[in-house]
Amino acid sequence: MGERSIGSGLLSFRKDIFSKYTNLFTFILLVFILAVFTKGRSMQGDSVRNLMIAESVRAFAALGVGMIIISRGIDLSIGYVVCLTASVAASFTQTAGYSGALFPGVQFPFWAPIAAGIAVGGLFGLINGLLVAYAKLPPFIATLGTLSLARGAQLIYTRAAVIGSLKQEFKEISQGNIGPVPNLAIYVAVAAFLVWILLRHTRLGTNFYAIGGNSQAARVSGVNVEADLVKVYLFAGLLYGIAGVLQASRLGLANALTANGMELDAIAAVTVGGVSQSGGVGTVSGMIIGVLIMGIINYGMTYMNIDSYYQLLMKGTIIIVAVFFDMRKHARKL
Amino acid sequence: MNNEYILEIDGISKQFPGVRALDDVSLKIRPGKVHTLMGENGAGKSTLMKCLFGMYHPDGGHVFFEGREVKFHSAKNALDSGISMIHQELSNVPKRTVSENIWLGREPLNRIGLLDHKKMHTDTLALMKQLEIDIDPGCQMDSLSISKQQSCEIAKAVSYGARIVVMDEPTSSLTETETNHLFRIINDLRSRGVAIIYISHKMSEIFQISDEISVMRDGRMVGSFAASELTEDKLISLMVGRVSRQRFPPSETVPGKIRLRVKGLTAKALNSFKDVSFDLRESEILGIGGLVGAQRTELVEAIFGLRGLSAGVIELNGKEIKIRSTKDAIRNGIAMITEDRRGSGIFPLLSVTTNTAIAALDQFINKFHFLDHGAIRKKARELNDFLRTKTPSMTTQIQNLSGGNQQKVIVSRWLMTLPDILIMDEPTRGIDVGAKYEIYTIMTELARQGKSIIMVSSEMPELIGMSHRIMVLCAGRHTGTIEKEDATQESIMRLAANFS
Repeated sequence: MGERSIGSGLLSFRKDIFSKYTNLFTFILLVFILAVFTKGRSMQGDSVRNLMIAESVRAFAALGVGMIIISRGIDLSIGYVVCLTASVAASFTQTAGYSGALFPGVQFPFWAPIAAGIAVGGLFGLINGLLVAYAKLPPFIATLGTLSLARGAQLIYTRAAVIGSLKQEFKEISQGNIGPVPNLAIYVAVAAFLVWILLRHTRLGTNFYAIGGNSQAARVSGVNVEADLVKVYLFAGLLYGIAGVLQASRLGLANALTANGMELDAIAAVTVGGVSQSGGVGTVSGMIIGVLIMGIINYGMTYMNIDSYYQLLMKGTIIIVAVFFDMRKHARKL
Repeated sequence: MNNEYILEIDGISKQFPGVRALDDVSLKIRPGKVHTLMGENGAGKSTLMKCLFGMYHPDGGHVFFEGREVKFHSAKNALDSGISMIHQELSNVPKRTVSENIWLGREPLNRIGLLDHKKMHTDTLALMKQLEIDIDPGCQMDSLSISKQQSCEIAKAVSYGARIVVMDEPTSSLTETETNHLFRIINDLRSRGVAIIYISHKMSEIFQISDEISVMRDGRMVGSFAASELTEDKLISLMVGRVSRQRFPPSETVPGKIRLRVKGLTAKALNSFKDVSFDLRESEILGIGGLVGAQRTELVEAIFGLRGLSAGVIELNGKEIKIRSTKDAIRNGIAMITEDRRGSGIFPLLSVTTNTAIAALDQFINKFHFLDHGAIRKKARELNDFLRTKTPSMTTQIQNLSGGNQQKVIVSRWLMTLPDILIMDEPTRGIDVGAKYEIYTIMTELARQGKSIIMVSSEMPELIGMSHRIMVLCAGRHTGTIEKEDATQESIMRLAANFS
C-alpha cells in the first residue's frame, strides 16, 4: 500500500480503506456467485428491488448500532425497540371503520404515526444512553434491560394483538418507487448520507471515535464523554424509530414478532462491514456494504430454497467469524 | 562448573528500533546475597530483567543458572525453574483469597480431581509461619494493605522453591515500618541461601540491605562492587557518569510576570492534597517533586478539571477562574499531558492526524459546522514537523509509533490548542534517552516562547535540570519550594520526606 491514502480524511486510514474494499469485493463476489448459480434469474430488476426493500429497514438499525459500536458500546434492545415503535406507529394509523383498532373511531393526522414511532425510539435510545453514560451500566446489561422493557411495553400496549388494517396513505410511505428505485432505498440513502456527515464531518462524530478509541484520553482532551455517549444512543434510538415506522408501513401491520432478531442482523451486518468491536473504528460505507452482504446471503439462500432455520445457523457463524477476524486485525498493542 | 555464582548473565545485548537498550551486559549473582541493581530510569535495568525472564528475546549473550545455560520463554517458565520476580505493580487476583492466589495455576487436587481447599489452606498457613508473615490465608487479596499483598507475593515465590527472587522497587509504596518488615523477610531469605536481585533508587535502604551493588548506565554495565567499598557520592557519580552535564538543553530564559496563582487549593477527596498555594510565571518551568503518594498528579489533575476541589482559588492573569471540567481548562489556555500515556493519552487505533487534532477541533469548524479536514491535516503535519515526530505517515495508527514519538504527538495535540500553560505529568516516562533530550529541548523552546510549564516528575535529575523552581509536596502538603540554584537531590528529598 502506498503512503497516500485514497480519499484520506481525518478518520480514514489505510487499513480502513483496505477493509472497505475487501467488503465491497466480497459483496460483488457474492452477487456474481449467486448470478451464476441461478443463471442470472436472481439478478432481474424485480428481484434486486425486493432485496433492497427487504434490507432497507435493517439498514436503519445497522446505522444506529454501528455508531454505538464505534463508541465501544453495544445495543441488544434493537429488535424489540423496533417492534414497539412499529406497533405504536401502526396504532396511530388504523383505518376509520376498523372495529379492532386500538383507538377505534379516532382519526390521527398523517404525521402522527411517524412522529409517535420516532419519539418512542428516541425515548428508548435516551434511556439506554443515560443508563450507559451516567448510571455507568455496562452497555450489554443496560440494553438487555431495555430489551425486556420494550418487549413488555409492546405486549401491554397492543394487548398482544396484531395492529392491522393500516391506512393506505401510511402504507404508501414505503411502497412506492421513484423511477426504478424503491422509496425505501432512497430513505436509506438519505439516512446514510446524514450519518456520514455526522461521523466524518462534525466534531461530535469525531468525538464518538475518540470515546470508542480511549474514553479516558477523550475526557482529558476536553470531550464531554457522558453527554456525547447519550447522544450516540439517542441518535441510534431515533433511527430505530424510523425503522419501526417503515417496517409497519411496509408490512401493513405490526405484532409481537415484528423485527424479531433484528439486533442480530444489524450487529452482524456492521461487523461484517468493518465496524470494530474494539471501538473507534468503522465507516458508514462499511456499514451499508455489510447490510448488503448479509442481505445477499439471506436472499441467495431464500432464492435457493434453503430452509430459514439453516439461515440462522449461517448468520451466527458469520457473526462469529467476522468478529474473530476483527479482533485479530484491530488488536490493541500492549 | 563454577559454584560461586548461582546466576551468570553473560554479554546480553538488545536492540530496539532507534536505541541500543542493552549493550553487552554481564552480571554475576551469588547465592545467599542481596545484589542491588542501580541506574537511572532508562538505564536498562528493566530491559535486562525482561530478557532474563524471556519477555524480551536478547539479540546476543547467554544466561547460566546454577551452571547450566538456560533460556526462559516466559515468567512462568522461569518461576518453575526457581527464578521469581516481585513486580513493582502487584499482579494478583484481587477478588480471590490469599491461598487461592498463592496456588493459582497449580492448585492441589484431591483423589477425585477436585480442588483440595484444606491442603491449600494448611500449606499456606505453614508457608506464612515459616516466613513469619501474619496473614490469614482466607483473606480476600484486595482487603490487604499493599505491603501485605507484597508479602504474599514473596510467599508465593518461596512456595515455588525460588532460588533467586527479583524485587523491582519493592518499597516504592511502603511505609517505613512496612519496609523494615520487608527487610526482615529479605534477611530470612538470604539466610536460606536465596539470592535477591534488588532494584531500587532509594540510597539509604540500598546501603542498609545490599551485599553487592551493580550500576547500569545507558544500556551498559558500569561495574559491580561490594557495598562496603561504595559511598553514596561514588554511587551517584557512577550512575550519572560523565554525560550528565549534557543531559539537559541550556536554558537562558528568565521567568516574567505571574500568570497563574493558586491559593489554598484543597481536594474534594479525603487524604489528598490540602491547602496548596503557588505561583506560576510566564516563561517558567515549575517542577513538582515528591514521593509516591505525595498527591502531585492529583493536584495538577484538579487544576486541569479532572478532579474536584473543596476549597481554594485559581487566578489566571489576576482574574479568578472556575475550572469544573477539562473543557473549562482548555478554554482558559491550560493543557495537560497526563502521566499514563497509554491509559489517558493516545487513541491507539486512530491516526497520528486525529490524535493530534482531537483537542482542538473547535478551531476547524466551518460555517456549516463541518470539520475542515484539509486544514486539520495541514496543521497537524506542521506541528509534528516542528516537533520532529518520526512517523511513516500522518495516517499511521499512533500505536505503531515509539513511546517518544507518541509523546511528541501528544505534545503537538496540546500545542494545537494554543495553551499558555502546559501541565506535563512525567513527560519522559518510558521514553528512551535520545527522545528525552528532544522533549526537554521542546520544553525549553516553549518556555522561551513565553509559555508556562508545570512539570511533575519523579526523576530528580530531570527536576533539577529542567526547572526554574521546584515545588515539593509531601503527603498532599506543600512542604517547600526550591530555587534552581539551591536544588540538589538532598534538598528535594528533605522536603519530600518531611512528614509532619
